[in-house]
Amino acid sequence: MQSMAPPIKGNDRIILRVIGVFLILLGIGAIGLLQFSIVTNEEILDAIVIQRAEEVNLDIEEDLLEAEAEAAGEDAAVADTSNPQSDSVLLAFLDNFGIALPVITLALGLAITYLGVLLLQRGISAARWTQVALIWLCVGTALLIIVSFVNGGEVQVSERETEWQIGEAIASALPFAILLVPLYLSLRWINLKLQNREIFIGEENISSAESRVAWNLLIPTLFILVLVAIRPLEETFITSLTDKTFASGASEINFIGFDNYERLFNITPEVVDCRIDDETGECRERPDGSFAWQYEENGETENIRPETRVITLPFDETQGLALIAEENRFVEAIENTLRFTFISVFLELVLGMIIALIVNAEFAGRGLMRAVMLVPWAIPTVVSARLWDTMLRDNSSGVFNAFLTEFGIIASPISWLTDPTYQLPALIAVDVWKTTPFMALLLLAGLQLLPKDIYEAADVDGASKVRQFFSITLPLLRPTIAVALVFRTLDALRIFDLFNVLVTDTNSLATFNHEVLIFGQREAGFAAAIGVVIFLMILVFTVFYVRLFGVQTE
Amino acid sequence: MSETTKRGADVKVSTPPQTAAQEFDWKLARKWINRILFWIMILVIAFAMLFPFYWAFNTSLKTENQIINDQSRPFPAEPTGQNYEIIFDDADFMRSLFNSALVSSITVLIALVVGSFAAYALGRVRFRGRTIMLYVVLAMTMFPQISILAGLFEIVRELDVFGSTLSLMATYPIFTLPFTVWVLTSFFQGLPREIEQSALVDGATPFQTFYLILLPLTLPALVTTGLLAFIAAWNEYLFALTFTVVDPEAQTVPVAIALFSGTVARQEPVAEIAAATVVVTVPLVILVVIFQRQIIGGLTAGAVKG
Repeated sequence: MQSMAPPIKGNDRIILRVIGVFLILLGIGAIGLLQFSIVTNEEILDAIVIQRAEEVNLDIEEDLLEAEAEAAGEDAAVADTSNPQSDSVLLAFLDNFGIALPVITLALGLAITYLGVLLLQRGISAARWTQVALIWLCVGTALLIIVSFVNGGEVQVSERETEWQIGEAIASALPFAILLVPLYLSLRWINLKLQNREIFIGEENISSAESRVAWNLLIPTLFILVLVAIRPLEETFITSLTDKTFASGASEINFIGFDNYERLFNITPEVVDCRIDDETGECRERPDGSFAWQYEENGETENIRPETRVITLPFDETQGLALIAEENRFVEAIENTLRFTFISVFLELVLGMIIALIVNAEFAGRGLMRAVMLVPWAIPTVVSARLWDTMLRDNSSGVFNAFLTEFGIIASPISWLTDPTYQLPALIAVDVWKTTPFMALLLLAGLQLLPKDIYEAADVDGASKVRQFFSITLPLLRPTIAVALVFRTLDALRIFDLFNVLVTDTNSLATFNHEVLIFGQREAGFAAAIGVVIFLMILVFTVFYVRLFGVQTE
Repeated sequence: MSETTKRGADVKVSTPPQTAAQEFDWKLARKWINRILFWIMILVIAFAMLFPFYWAFNTSLKTENQIINDQSRPFPAEPTGQNYEIIFDDADFMRSLFNSALVSSITVLIALVVGSFAAYALGRVRFRGRTIMLYVVLAMTMFPQISILAGLFEIVRELDVFGSTLSLMATYPIFTLPFTVWVLTSFFQGLPREIEQSALVDGATPFQTFYLILLPLTLPALVTTGLLAFIAAWNEYLFALTFTVVDPEAQTVPVAIALFSGTVARQEPVAEIAAATVVVTVPLVILVVIFQRQIIGGLTAGAVKG
């Protein structure tokens, strides 16, 4: 092929070589920069120093032990070779770089180097891919110019104040601006040469041209998704294996394996009896009305702590199943989240279906009705939660209690949001109020896609409306119901706003995670483990639903 | 009811034509009862959905005294605008409105520009890896934000944007972008294939076809998707609370409303909270009423077709 290539002018040959060599250098440079930033990272260096020091210590200890053992005339003691700090270098690396970014940098670096080599051989595909690479390099450099212009201009004037100075801003943006010029010029040159069909040889078939265009357009989305989703997810998982905290004066981070998860799932079920009151012969009650529980172990009686979750057995009130856990708040959060999810999604589906069937009828003002139904969905959950908060109060502002007492339904105001008995029902009610209309709108959209003639035929056959609903509507609506259920369940499992705004002492998994991260010891590692558990839980539900309903993407 | 049937039975013997009229009457009555029941149900549903907002409006026009003395009164005895004056004079609250508008606009802009590229590729171009990419985008639309809170918290602190609106602009694409891509992809798939073929015949490059021909055609879809993404960003609470709680200057509307405690330290200012919620609610309600058809279309394109 090379021999058949058209002749190439001196100027173009030089420019082509410059661009090709630039790409090769860029690729190698990216990999080199990655390596450089790893080996000069302070935390990693510190970890290496600590590890070396400990290895030396260990060697000395081992020598001492061996010497002792020999002196005692015994077999050489097997020294404990597992070093608690041996993971710290790996941890420092993962903590600072993660896995995704180095892998991507490496792959991109290699690809760009390879591209440079191909470009020097004057392949047309390589030229077009170079075009793509140069476009994104130009965009990236332009963004860097803006960022460094805005950031670089900030000059520390005094200890607390910073001032924005145009001179500094220009100075910090200038290198990138200078870089942009040759990038842009080479892009224009390649565009020109490709248009005139000069220099480059070979043909590109349509399918590879199309896939080049597609990936070119997908690059920014992939880039952002890696930064905002993949990288944080990876960081969360890595952190969940450490004892990292954000408490002030935090000490060094240690790799503790799955200890955080063990702490969460250290739950032992135990059948327990209630403590019999000697005088009455009945179960003794705590001040809050719950039973005091105990169980026998090795002939000794162990008391169950009040915060432990005990499920009373259905057939015998004096016995219960206690979930003795290290983290009772986690048990409580899981229970609350699951109960909240199942009850609210079930109610929303049933009520939403009823509303959808009603609104599906033709009537004047249906458009207005649909707009009304959108309102609870469009208002921030926080805002509606705040509205319900005042409405559900047991003081003068609580309109519900005012109405209920006025009509004599209840004798005295109920504090819906502070009384533990009513907290979860109140939360479910508010969620049902907010999301039922949304569910109804989704189902309504599905209903309107159903063919009308089936119902006409059913009417002719004399099938009742109820029969029509169960035999026609429900089976045909199955895909819509499935999708609505998936969306609602996944939303309910990660419920945060309502619990955060409305109640203080009842946690969902999300508010528990948030609380651990923000308050108290600010245990980032532990919070990350909870996050991973939520992630896995939602994954399981998704897979379950997809299997159950066969949701298809196309 | 029994009376009508009796009378019907009486008449039956003498004049058969009237029986038909009587029966027709009964049918008509049933129709009317059905219609009345139907409208009662419609009104009950509408009432249930709007009551909290109506009540907030009602409360916002009352003075603190009126709330304590007769909260169950459905209309304020003497409407007062003082709560709104307090709200509009509250610099923190007004700043939160500005922050929310800024953060949501920038997020939507990024999502639309970047998302329309990806949606074009996924909706119009056949290439290897397309199905996998569709799955990735769909999975991302369901991505639980709470599960990466701890990791994102660390990254936000490392990047030194903790406590600024920048941290929100940088993290919101996690829910706006996949959603935008998914909805726009379904819109792109709905356009007829001939458009590009004729453009390609005329010698346009694929990229030119995209931004000169297809993008103008999808303008309504872009408006709809942008609106939905805007509402999602405007309503976001978890990240806003976690990343800006240290700095009141960067708080968005949901955080400001959630933490709202009034301008003067005293008993909880119920009327002021109500006024603040009305201020936040009214623009959204107007948007929803205007774009009702488009919003529902966009939502169902994102959900039902999935």
